[in-house]
Amino acid sequence: MSKSPVTLLLAFDDQVRRDQNQSALFLHRRDRRYALDCHAQQQKPSLAGWLNHITPHRPETLQPDARIKRWQRLSRLLLPVGALLGVVTMLGLLFYDGSQQINVTVIIGFVALQGLLALLTTLQALFGWRPWGRLLTPGRGTDRPTTALDGLQPQLAACTAHQTALVFTLAGLLTLLAMIVVQDLAFGWSTTLRTSAESYGALIHGLATPWQALWPAAVPSMALIEQTQFFRLGDPRIAEPARYGDWWPFVCMLWLTYAVLPRLLLTLFARLHLRTQARRQLLRHPGRQSLLYRFDAPTVETASSPSTDPAMPHQPENQFHSLPASRDLIRWGGVAHDTDEPLTLMERDNSRLFDAGGTASLAHDQAVLNELAEREGPVILLARAWEPPTGELADFIQEARRSRSRDRLLALVPIGGEQPLTPASPRQLAQWQRFVERQKDANLWICQLPTPDREARQHG
Amino acid sequence: MVSSSPAVPTFAIVGHPNRGKSSVVATLSQNDSIAIAMEPGTTRTSDTYPLKVDGEVLYNLVDTPGFQRPRKVLAWLEAHSASASDRPDTVRAFYLQHRDDPQFHDECELLRPIIEGQAGIIYVVDGSVPYSPGNEAEMTILQWTGRPSLALINAIGSDDHGTAWEKALGQYFRIVRRFNAVTAPFSQHLGLLRGFGQLEPRWEGLLNTATTHLERQRQQQHQAAAELIMHAMNEMMQLQVSGTMSDDDNRNAARQRLQQRWLDAQRKRESQLRQAIEALYQHHRIQRHEQDLEWQDGDLFSQRSRAAWGVSRTYLATAGFGAGALGGVGIDALTFGTSLGAGALVGGVLGAAGSYFYADRLGKWSFGPLLGGLQSMRYGPVADLQFAYVILGRALNHWYHISHRNHAGRDPMRLEQAESHWLEQLSKDKRRELQSLLQRLSKGITDGRRHVHWVQMISAAMDAFEQWRQSESMPEAAY
Repeated sequence: MSKSPVTLLLAFDDQVRRDQNQSALFLHRRDRRYALDCHAQQQKPSLAGWLNHITPHRPETLQPDARIKRWQRLSRLLLPVGALLGVVTMLGLLFYDGSQQINVTVIIGFVALQGLLALLTTLQALFGWRPWGRLLTPGRGTDRPTTALDGLQPQLAACTAHQTALVFTLAGLLTLLAMIVVQDLAFGWSTTLRTSAESYGALIHGLATPWQALWPAAVPSMALIEQTQFFRLGDPRIAEPARYGDWWPFVCMLWLTYAVLPRLLLTLFARLHLRTQARRQLLRHPGRQSLLYRFDAPTVETASSPSTDPAMPHQPENQFHSLPASRDLIRWGGVAHDTDEPLTLMERDNSRLFDAGGTASLAHDQAVLNELAEREGPVILLARAWEPPTGELADFIQEARRSRSRDRLLALVPIGGEQPLTPASPRQLAQWQRFVERQKDANLWICQLPTPDREARQHG
Repeated sequence: MVSSSPAVPTFAIVGHPNRGKSSVVATLSQNDSIAIAMEPGTTRTSDTYPLKVDGEVLYNLVDTPGFQRPRKVLAWLEAHSASASDRPDTVRAFYLQHRDDPQFHDECELLRPIIEGQAGIIYVVDGSVPYSPGNEAEMTILQWTGRPSLALINAIGSDDHGTAWEKALGQYFRIVRRFNAVTAPFSQHLGLLRGFGQLEPRWEGLLNTATTHLERQRQQQHQAAAELIMHAMNEMMQLQVSGTMSDDDNRNAARQRLQQRWLDAQRKRESQLRQAIEALYQHHRIQRHEQDLEWQDGDLFSQRSRAAWGVSRTYLATAGFGAGALGGVGIDALTFGTSLGAGALVGGVLGAAGSYFYADRLGKWSFGPLLGGLQSMRYGPVADLQFAYVILGRALNHWYHISHRNHAGRDPMRLEQAESHWLEQLSKDKRRELQSLLQRLSKGITDGRRHVHWVQMISAAMDAFEQWRQSESMPEAAY
């Protein structure tokens, strides 16, 4: 046995609402997984199955939703009210103080009113019109979100109304039968309109058409119609009072056919309509299309789960030193290879330019180190600031330390541009500062390229 | 590292340190948590980023450390190779011998996916710095591996030395492509991935399947974004807050407090929408670094927002018919005096500080009867349809930036004012439909039957906005 469409709709709506806080990727993975499991078991993915799949801890129950139960409780409470009203109304209709007959026209009018009300109830459910909605759900219209239940309220209300009215009419019918048994009811017909017995008879016979074959006795004869017409003033035409009671089969069948039966059919229709409406809402539910897409579309995961952010590099602590007076300069990795500008950074006498790193061979680097070992004084190492310092540079510096005194100053000068030489940006310098920190070498200095002003002062 | 069968194409993204390898991986794997901004040369391990479809890996991208000692590696290889035919074996021998050697840790780590995983090589260089022959040792080592390879010219800075790089790379790599990891549009991502598939014939099918799935995922993200915007707009248009006011309360103060709650709730809901859109496009870092990447489009209720995304009163009255009666600064000038935003030009200055609010006229006030000295009051839902255009414009703008932002992007997002209005990209019929949708939303008509149609309408608005942004070709520093 499957869940009622109403319960399914409400459960689905709740789940869609809960899913709004979940990530799209998670939802896709979860729902695609269910669809794939279904395909593996040669089953078709269904909404009910999906709900059970994602909430396995919740035992599957055929019990209706709690919100529907509230409506059911209200309906049950209204049943005795309807029955009581039915009894009272019928007693009112059959009130007979002996001065006048019970007017069949009034009963017909009352049954017609019943029919009109039943029709209105059905129409408002069909069109979803609910002018009294705010009274029944006072929270509506404030901070409360709209749920799928709101869309079913007209149909739920119609179910309750028809059910109550059905009990009302049944109680009325039973009261009528009881009154027929225990009392001598005198029916007649009367109207202010100048209607002839023939035309009234045509109306009565028209009304009695549905049962005239089943129960001919319940179709009043023309004679009875003529004889039981009464006026407020004037003598009764009938000589035989027992004939007043001959109307009762007609009244019973009128009530049964035009009050009880329509309500019974409309109650069944309202329940059917509620289920249809719930099914339709489920089909139109905004979450359903997305869910079906997630069932069908393969999950595409382009990334591993988001990792924590990488730790940002620390701020370098190394302070910049002024460029030492030097006679030796190494151009690392081909920096400023086509210009003599680096010479301006050195003392003029006995200065030498060396090239290392980049396209130079390792043997050439070693030869440079050997040559430098024979010279004295600080050495400037010029490098491209935008090229990150690599292990090869670290190896070169370490090799230089092995072949030369540890106390000899090595000034590392990263440059931002080659022609002409321009200073590196603080961001470029930061990685070189950290590189120097990592070398743990007190005599390895990080120096900035002197600006022309400073240079002029130095030389001046 | 994700284990996968050798049949799964694997691409090792290799190169010199700080050449944008991680940017390329971040963009192609749609993962903005890849350590791009870290100290160059401190990436010590190879990280694998697979593309999984229903859990099945279609390809792997491997982010590797940069070369640290290429000359030493090449010297070792040359010393141990007898002829050109044994070069791949020699590289393998180098890897096997040095994988525990801390000196060659980075080289072994970058060679690992190539040797063990039979990965294709994607060699990344930075086209914004001049070509340096110093890279030739690296390229030679990669050539020696004998694996299929492709060179990618990325651009980290603004200078363009791509042509020089192309010439040099052409000597080492059969395929050389340009790809800017930060600005390349999505279609180029797919083109590049298909290009990866050309490295080996057996990879082509898988890469084509993968790109088809990625394209479909992109379409789905578009659809899901439309749903999210629709949902948020519905809630924002319908938002109501209620409170009570006693006889002793200052009436104006109580009203202001309630209105403030409404404003805050609207801002919160907009922020939730933004987070959902960012999560949809897998931009997690933006959420974590909200301060760094703060939106520069002003407050939801600022005059600046209204001037940028709102429409004039004339347009509201004649949606779809009014020629040139769209919103924006230019339009306010046309309808001077008739629109709320008559002061947009002045308001732009005020709005920069976010101090000018037009919220006072936005919501509906309703007051309950005075009972026991207390009176209930309610603010909302939205009374001015103008606000719907502001919400929509801001939502579309945010969506556009997020959906066009590559995962390697790190710069703050910028919003430039435009003289035209995005609505101009919509046909008259579509504008009328949009107006009708917004009117229904403001009246709280949430009809499930029309939901699909409405989402299509928002989707059409997204397309129009995209066209508008692209036709505007506004300075987009971040893209």
